[in-house]
Amino acid sequence: MIKERGLYNPDFEHDACGVGFIVRINGEQTHDIIEKGVEILCNLEHRGAVGGDQKTGDGAGMLFQIPHKFFNKVTDFKLPKEGSYGTGMLFLPIDGKLRKQASDLTEKICRDEGWDFLGWRDVPVDVECLGDLARRVMPYIRQFFVSKKGLKGSELERSLFVLRKCLENGGTAKGFELEEYYLASLSSRTIVYKGMFVAPQFLTFYPDLLDADVVSSMALVHQRYSTNTFPSWPLAQPFRYIAHNGEINTLRRNLNTMHARETSLSSELFADDLKKLFPIAESKGSDSAVFDNVFELLTQSGRSMEHATMMMIPEAFGNKYHMSEDKRAFYEYHAAIMEPWDGPAAIAFTDGTRIGATLDRNGLRPGRYTVTKNGLVIMASETGVIEVDSKNILEKGRLAPGKIFVVDTAIKRIVRDNEVKSHICRQSPYRRWLSEEKIELAGLLQAPRDAEYNPETLRLKMRAFGYSYEDIRKIIVPMATNGQEPIGSMGNDSPLAVLSEKPVLLYDYFRQHFAQVTNPPIDPYREHLVMSLMSFIGKERNLLNETPAHCRQLKLAHPVLTNDDIKYLREVEHEGFKVDTVNLAFSSEGNTGIMEKFLKEVCLSVEKCIDEGASLVILSDRGVDKEHLAIPALLAVSGVHHHLIRAGKRHLTGLLLESGEVREVQHFATLVGYGCSGINPYLVFESLAEIRDRGYLPEDLTLQHAMEHYITAVKKGLLKVMSKMGISTIRSYRGAQIFEAVGLSDSLVDEYFTGTASLIGGITISALEEDVRKRHFQAWAPDDVYSVRFPSGGSYSSRIHSDRHLFSAEAIVAMHKAVRNADFKKFQEYSGIINDKSRGLNTLRGLFKFKKGQPVALDEVEPVEDIVKRFTTGAMSYGSISREVHETVALAMNALGGRSNSGEGGEDEARYTPDTDGSDRKSHTKQIASGRFGVNAAYLANCDELQIKMAQGAKPGEGGQLPGHKVNQEIADVRFTTPGVMLISPPPHHDIYSIEDLSQLIFDLKNANPDARVSVKLVSEAGVGTIAAGVAKGKADMVLISGGDGGTGASPLSSIKYAGTWWELGLAETQQVLVMNKLRSRIRIQTDGQLKTGRDVAIAALLGAEEYGFGSATLVSLGCVMMRACHTNACPVGVATQNPELRKRFPGKPEHLMNFMRFIARELRGIMAELGFRSLDEMIGRVDMLEVDDAVNHYKAMGLDFSKILMPPQRVDGEPLRCTSHQDHDFTLSLDPELVKACKEAIDKGKRVTLERTIRNSNRTVGATLSYNVTKKYGSKGLPDDTITVNFKGSAGQSFGAFITRGITFKLTGESNDYFGKGLSGGRLILLPPLDSTFSGFRNIITGNVNLFGASGGEAFINGMAGERFCVRNSGATAVVEGVGDHGCEYMTGGTAVILGPTGVNFAAGMSGGLAYVYDENQLFDTRCNLEMVDIEPVVEDEDMQVLKTFIERHVEYTNSLVGIRILDSWEESLPRFVKVIPIEYRKALEMIRDRETQNTETTAITEEVFV
Amino acid sequence: MGKTNGFLEFQRADIKYREIDKRLNDYDEVTIDKSIEELVEQGGRCMECGTPFCHNLGCPVGNLIPEWNDSIWRGQWKEAFERLEITNNFPEFTGRICPAPCETSCTLSINDSPVTIKQNERAIIEKAFNEGWVIPRPPREELNKSVAVIGSGPAGMAASQQLRRQGYKVTLFEKDRKIGGLLRYGIPDFKLEKSVIDRRLEQLQTEGVLFETGVTVGEDISIRYLRDKFDAVLFTMGAGVPRDLPVPGRDLNGVYFALEFLGQSNRRISKEMYEEAEINAKGKRVLVIGGGDTGSDCVGTARRQGASKVYQYEIMPKPMEWDKPWNPVWPEWPQILRTTSSHKEGCERDWNIETVSLEGKNGRLNRGNFRRIQWVPGEKGGRPVMKVVKGSEFSQDVDIVLLAMGFVHVEHGRAVTDPDLELDGRGNIMADNYHTSVEGLFTAGDANTGASLVVRAINHGRQAAESVHHWLKRQ
Repeated sequence: MIKERGLYNPDFEHDACGVGFIVRINGEQTHDIIEKGVEILCNLEHRGAVGGDQKTGDGAGMLFQIPHKFFNKVTDFKLPKEGSYGTGMLFLPIDGKLRKQASDLTEKICRDEGWDFLGWRDVPVDVECLGDLARRVMPYIRQFFVSKKGLKGSELERSLFVLRKCLENGGTAKGFELEEYYLASLSSRTIVYKGMFVAPQFLTFYPDLLDADVVSSMALVHQRYSTNTFPSWPLAQPFRYIAHNGEINTLRRNLNTMHARETSLSSELFADDLKKLFPIAESKGSDSAVFDNVFELLTQSGRSMEHATMMMIPEAFGNKYHMSEDKRAFYEYHAAIMEPWDGPAAIAFTDGTRIGATLDRNGLRPGRYTVTKNGLVIMASETGVIEVDSKNILEKGRLAPGKIFVVDTAIKRIVRDNEVKSHICRQSPYRRWLSEEKIELAGLLQAPRDAEYNPETLRLKMRAFGYSYEDIRKIIVPMATNGQEPIGSMGNDSPLAVLSEKPVLLYDYFRQHFAQVTNPPIDPYREHLVMSLMSFIGKERNLLNETPAHCRQLKLAHPVLTNDDIKYLREVEHEGFKVDTVNLAFSSEGNTGIMEKFLKEVCLSVEKCIDEGASLVILSDRGVDKEHLAIPALLAVSGVHHHLIRAGKRHLTGLLLESGEVREVQHFATLVGYGCSGINPYLVFESLAEIRDRGYLPEDLTLQHAMEHYITAVKKGLLKVMSKMGISTIRSYRGAQIFEAVGLSDSLVDEYFTGTASLIGGITISALEEDVRKRHFQAWAPDDVYSVRFPSGGSYSSRIHSDRHLFSAEAIVAMHKAVRNADFKKFQEYSGIINDKSRGLNTLRGLFKFKKGQPVALDEVEPVEDIVKRFTTGAMSYGSISREVHETVALAMNALGGRSNSGEGGEDEARYTPDTDGSDRKSHTKQIASGRFGVNAAYLANCDELQIKMAQGAKPGEGGQLPGHKVNQEIADVRFTTPGVMLISPPPHHDIYSIEDLSQLIFDLKNANPDARVSVKLVSEAGVGTIAAGVAKGKADMVLISGGDGGTGASPLSSIKYAGTWWELGLAETQQVLVMNKLRSRIRIQTDGQLKTGRDVAIAALLGAEEYGFGSATLVSLGCVMMRACHTNACPVGVATQNPELRKRFPGKPEHLMNFMRFIARELRGIMAELGFRSLDEMIGRVDMLEVDDAVNHYKAMGLDFSKILMPPQRVDGEPLRCTSHQDHDFTLSLDPELVKACKEAIDKGKRVTLERTIRNSNRTVGATLSYNVTKKYGSKGLPDDTITVNFKGSAGQSFGAFITRGITFKLTGESNDYFGKGLSGGRLILLPPLDSTFSGFRNIITGNVNLFGASGGEAFINGMAGERFCVRNSGATAVVEGVGDHGCEYMTGGTAVILGPTGVNFAAGMSGGLAYVYDENQLFDTRCNLEMVDIEPVVEDEDMQVLKTFIERHVEYTNSLVGIRILDSWEESLPRFVKVIPIEYRKALEMIRDRETQNTETTAITEEVFV
Repeated sequence: MGKTNGFLEFQRADIKYREIDKRLNDYDEVTIDKSIEELVEQGGRCMECGTPFCHNLGCPVGNLIPEWNDSIWRGQWKEAFERLEITNNFPEFTGRICPAPCETSCTLSINDSPVTIKQNERAIIEKAFNEGWVIPRPPREELNKSVAVIGSGPAGMAASQQLRRQGYKVTLFEKDRKIGGLLRYGIPDFKLEKSVIDRRLEQLQTEGVLFETGVTVGEDISIRYLRDKFDAVLFTMGAGVPRDLPVPGRDLNGVYFALEFLGQSNRRISKEMYEEAEINAKGKRVLVIGGGDTGSDCVGTARRQGASKVYQYEIMPKPMEWDKPWNPVWPEWPQILRTTSSHKEGCERDWNIETVSLEGKNGRLNRGNFRRIQWVPGEKGGRPVMKVVKGSEFSQDVDIVLLAMGFVHVEHGRAVTDPDLELDGRGNIMADNYHTSVEGLFTAGDANTGASLVVRAINHGRQAAESVHHWLKRQ
């Protein structure tokens, strides 16, 4: 593993993968299980990745039972009886001397621990097959064998566990790195073979596995896809117990808590040996490795594997889920013991006898299994990894969210979820313990009653805590009025906290992390049933046993406490439950420096409270007054939190906060993120009381309601912040530190925010104290009669006495004049205003300056015409901006030869063909976003670049919605939806839950338009570089690093301000990581986010970007005046509005934007000439030409350290600093090239063609290129139905039938994986089980998750059940299926789904359009349907009955469906069991359309009012 | 944030004036005061822009216009007043006589009609006075330091109030009998009734500002005395020297500077005694030379005095005529033809006219001789040059000529010469951040910048007070 260097930090590495196992149920050990395991691995190869050398895999491995006979054969000493010795698989240094040391150490420790060291075996390996990178870091692999007198069974395993820990700690103590001394396994039952390969190298590398004596009844395999190319051998999987496909988002929380818990651990099973196990979690391992460590501890100390799984990855148990009281009690009880290890996960686990798997509560990783008649169970991320004769299949199924599936070879049968869980939930009387012990305080968290305030001091205190007028009016009042966070628009161009001239609150230095690519964010609105704000707080006890007292904790439904709540808590009297308060206010006398001392005292006071038995400690700044200042609440909370972790006492108490400082969602989020369990923002409640008394709240809003609304808004906000990172429960979010610090010094971070990423250093604690003092002085200023009046603020809208915004009024005016009059001098005035440091520093690049170069003559520099070709505009959808603007932008960029970006929201097909005068209104970059609005085959075929938007700077990790009243006819048309129907973009792409999914989508798009390059848009955050490396390995042609300050048409204010970092950081990190990984040469980098001047572009180029995007500046050049009211549809200059009245006011012309782009290029040329670059290519990545501007004299910026940003990257083998070649796309397993040839007649002449083909799971994305060829010729109308028919047999890979257009019919006999019919654009898909199969279609899973995602037209008939999220975001396709998993028809906006069998939970969530007919046999459907947006009604209308019947008849016709036949046979009887699901809004819209049709008017209504 | 789409829903309500024949009979304010209630919708037209050009570029005192507009729309009048009071000491002045650069820079001035910012301001402050919200704000703590402020125009008043509130003992010196400077003696009552000044002075007085009127600094008391007695001295005596017209006949009886005419008129109306000879336009033919606001004030005053005919000549060309509600050069101040309420009361205006000479009988003016000129672009983009139009000479019978051609600089009396204050090229007191060339002496307002708007003077007064405060804190 490469060490931390520059901005690269190995902590950021992510991985995901394919995982699978095969087991013979009766436990018979055979060699063919090993062979099949290898086969699974090879067929999952496409889920892994290769590195910069194109050959080194990220890791693959297999766990199987110890082959005793084999070892006996190959060792030169005699082994004891089977099962009575341990075998260790050890990775040692290649270097002989070091190896000897390590080997000696091993023997010594084994003997010291009382083991008989039986001997060594050097594992034969074939290094020839390896890639270069893998070889360079390859370890020497040895096995050793030990035994201890009399030990066997689980006692032996436990003892081996202790030994392994001793060996690991011994190795660390001797200074060996993880790579130099690593035990892949040490067990009497199982062994792990693994390393840095791609699957096919595995068998070659380990010839052992070819030996027929290597037998096992089970094999657990794993293929890794890491975001980096320097993954190490030890991090390959499986680990000793598990193989993990997923991501632990809350790792920091879990690690810290485990560390603190060590002090309370005790176990009879280990007795004194327990200490040898510390540290329990190896923090230098990956998240999966740490999970394995804790899983191992829990199972070795007496819990079953299933029990441990349920503790660590509990399923959701909110009210929406039906479950037994015992089970709910089990989960609740354990909520007091261990926080969830939150994140997407498919985990396969085994102890050598039992093998099983589970999914996280969201079901975000696929898991499919097949049970054969001859007693094999095959489970894997994909189905079809092993070919099984259809006659031999007993059952096909999938892992469902939160469910467990176990095969027990001892009892020789499958144990299913219900059985496993009902057994475990009753092994102790959890329900009774809970009801007797858990503490719920009467009155707590009830409706708030009142808040008293002192009119004399209230406002002074508020000012001391930095309240501004903006905070009150734009944040607090809207929260209290509407019960949610306010919305804003455009980007954030205020200064970074560390550059602000004003005192800022500590929260402002933190940026929220968010999920992109490696794990999906959650939709906190539509899928809130998986989320929870409930937590238990108080003293935690020994993790290794369970007693009633374990749940003697306070249960909080959410973390916001009212002023009454905190009062109650202080007064509570409950045995064994003590509440103490520690004061955070200190005397204002004395000099700066005392705050740090006082904070130390606070930490010690809290510790003392704990020692005296406090279960809860309240940190309080109630004591603030004229003479007393308060420690910033976040500093206090996190400081105490980390102090207690270090002291090993953190788990012994719950931390509460009573603070006047807290008000915004970001404040709550950071406080919880750094360990606080409950927060009382008392000043907010007091100020609400005052605001109410002054009459500033709506009259019908009582104070109680205002407070409740405020609390609701905070709760929603917290869910949103958690969901951005894909974290479901506050129990694991608490202390998870999902933030990075920007502008805090290392000393401050290390001491008080330990473990937080902080890339550029910054201010110390004394600067924080200065700000506290300044605010305090301003409040009680003797020379200010108006100090009770709040300063305006100015974060969101600009004020002359506040920090400046980059787009200042003057800059906007200068820009308008410059581009309208083609006046370059005026433009220089504009850029002068932006770049002027004396007006205040806004950006990090403001602190840079260019080094002196060897100037060249200006005319030698690359011309403007060439430079502008690298410019693009930001992705702004038609819908967020008006059609006039969208087309003007396209016209301008096309005339320049640059590119405009369609944004998410489709495009009028008329724009695909140039106008008669040759002007081109097509967006040459087409964006593919999570909503897939307007994405069909024609959309994809008509561009030069397809951009996958993973995140957006203004709101990374969030979705969005366009309210129905904004969806007029035109917008509905290009988005393939119905006017008046709300359009929801989900937070995640439902076909990208992991890096291998992204690589799949890239592959899909490459197929859907082989001529277009594919790019991926990421948002800057710490670790974005490693994600970009993953993207590069996923074969994207370009990666866009977007600044977190970019613009938006509508987004919560806190997201605009607090999520994502600046492009300077993300770009520098990306450049460094890509170059270090040898990936830079094959991928281009683009950057955007508040780029405004030639200087900005020059800095972006030097930091490594070869292309540059302009969003806000584009709009300003066309007349935008930064009203920041895009979300209101009331743009006064017709830019961001659909109101025809306002659109008439749009003043922009293509020339304006062209002038802007040319001016930027012209300015850039000047800089290039000065620096001595004749071409931009020479300039890219030349970070050595940048330095920090010493002349900048800013009191806070002094401590900033840019060495990591300005560090030239380590270049391996002369890796270039820019893209010099291209991605090597591998289509060898694609069927399409051949299909296109075979269909030539059909494509050229429309002649009917019918083909027969076989298919495997490694044949992915079948049909997309075929469809592309049809679409290119015929547009989106395609060919007549069934012109091309292909009959497939076998297991189809992912994205079968993706984007196929009208005229293409695919009939698949067999089964299919995820993303079946993705983006279906008019084609027909038929899926049915093999005719000779004996299992019934409707009880078995025939196709995976996320079928027909984003389909816009066409049909699918599926004889069998589908997985989760069937028809998600369907906007026009018709589908018939015989059962679906959770979240069916989610976000659907059009089309029809007919479901002839069971549905999972949360059906129709966010469904705003389209219809679903569900055969509700058990009459329970209404409990599984999310009724927020839809009505359920019987099918009684003739039209409905006819439609339904026709669909079922055709279903039977195409697929011979037994279910269909049965229903039709008893149609009269079946019909009443059908329900129709219809979105409420959709019904209204349809009625509106029908009315209009009957009125028979000729004109198309385009005003939004029509549909309000 | 105002009302979404409010600007589409509500029309701008322009200022209303009393009927001409009625208002010419008195000196009462010509505008009809709108109540804040009438302006609620106008507040709703404000979009509370993310980049409020009115506040950032337009308004010299940086009024928090979007904030109080929003409050008006929400009916939060006291809040509106409190936000207004933060930046502007005297909104009742600016709400009446400010040319409102905020409105020409309003975002709605791009393509619509601006928010009625000026009327809103006036309504807020009038409501506040009526409701008794305008109360004295004496300092929280007394500082044992004192400041002398010389000249009681808007700059001096604002500075005095600010300094007093910071805790200084402030004495405001005025050479005239009453406090107010040009507000009182320059601006006619029909634009600003003097009771409006008086009620504000009451507040200043209660807060503890000491007024010394009838004292000409430099003459009646020396600068040295002031410097001994006070810790700092601030010069805010305006740019009192008017631009003269050096033509034959200038010294005829009947030729006056505008302020001689206006000052006397104001004194007469407020029944203040004066020693100068009576100037009265009743039944006379009056020519105002100079096309600016002062000239316009002369027109209105002459009309009210009963002039038989009023002419106004301007040497510059006639500005562009523009009758659209938006601003053609947004957000800048447009050079367009402005017709004031006074112009509408009856006046012949003409442009491109140079005065050649004035004639009279018995030392009394009865005619003026003029010629037309033409402005041609200067060489190499330099300033335009005046060219006489041949044969364009003409005469006009007039009884009174009022010279309203602007002001050149501060009066160079002993107040300025004694301490040897450095002057700038135009003759005004030079200053660096309001600090003159002499340590401890400060200046602000027109005396520093030359004649400008009342709103700028207020802003200067406030900033100079800050500057004085910083300096005194360091002493």
